Amino acid sequence: MDELDLLKKDWNQNSNSHKVSAKSIYAMLHIKSSSIVKTLFYISIAELVFWILINVLPTFFSKSYNEQLDLIFTNKIALTLINFFTYAIIILFIWLLFKAHKAISVTDNAKKLMESILRTRKIIKYYVLYNLIVLTLSVIAGLYFGIKQSPEVSDKLINASQSETFLFYGICFVLVGFFTLCFWLFYKLLYGLLLKRLNKNYKELKKLEE
Amino acid sequence: MNKALEHNFVELLEKHQNIVHKVCRLYTNNYDAHNDLFQEITIQLWRAYPKFRGEAKFSTWMYRVGLNTAITLYRKSKRTINTQDFEGVAFKIKAEDYDDTEEQQLKVLYKAIHKLNDIEKALVFLYLEDKDYREISETLGISEVNARVKMNRIKTKLKTILNS
Repeated sequence: MDELDLLKKDWNQNSNSHKVSAKSIYAMLHIKSSSIVKTLFYISIAELVFWILINVLPTFFSKSYNEQLDLIFTNKIALTLINFFTYAIIILFIWLLFKAHKAISVTDNAKKLMESILRTRKIIKYYVLYNLIVLTLSVIAGLYFGIKQSPEVSDKLINASQSETFLFYGICFVLVGFFTLCFWLFYKLLYGLLLKRLNKNYKELKKLEE
Repeated sequence: MNKALEHNFVELLEKHQNIVHKVCRLYTNNYDAHNDLFQEITIQLWRAYPKFRGEAKFSTWMYRVGLNTAITLYRKSKRTINTQDFEGVAFKIKAEDYDDTEEQQLKVLYKAIHKLNDIEKALVFLYLEDKDYREISETLGISEVNARVKMNRIKTKLKTILNS
């Protein structure tokens, strides 16, 4: 007899050992899900809000930030275009995320379900990547214009030796790189922990198809 | 969601709950985890229920949602349901249910199955539930041939464990 047939016999005999009452099932319907999709959904909302706030808050609350922007963008059309582009990207990501979340269906086959979840995660990844790139570019641009418009710093840099200038820019780049890397590692860890099991199972399914 | 739908769902789940218990039994090792996974599968079934059109049998539909929850969606939580009734129901799974089988061979087999990875467990589960390879392949999203090949490998693996 096949080992699994022996198990099959026992499997079906052993199935009535515990029963949940209808009342308990009713109670369960009102509990919140703790699935990874739900967590991923909350994370994506948090990401959107966080980066929107980073983009938007300074323009509303910081007078000096706006003055800086006015100094850098003497051409108002350029600033309007950048703002339009920023909001268009945010709306695009909201739409993509909404679509990706809607596409996740627990009634799909296991592989398709995993792919839908991974697609959602990929969209969040691109959104974060986009924001990190923009942030890095903004810091570099800010630094450049900051130096250009501050006579004190400009004079010091002009008078500085080559190695001092090199050191100054070097430190700036290392700092920007360090913060970007920290952000990136944080995300890697966050999603790595959340999707560890899913990734493992997805790889296993893919391996079966090779 | 309206009351009638809720009532229908609860009635169906109560009747077919064994399927969910079997999934939980395969993917968990203790009462708390079993309980937690049972709740998550119930939530997922309930959320998907309005779209259940009845083209497939309720039980067939449950296999898919149950397994998907166990191998993909489930994340261990620390939630506890405070309902008095829930605490009191005959839901407590004794430790013996997991390993107190009469025959030593079965004991070893269950132990071996618990050591399989999530996907292998899903295959074994569907096999034990008498599903054919077409249904197994459709549930997991792999080809029928690969499902068959993998199942044979699992059988060999279990045989080796049993004979060692």
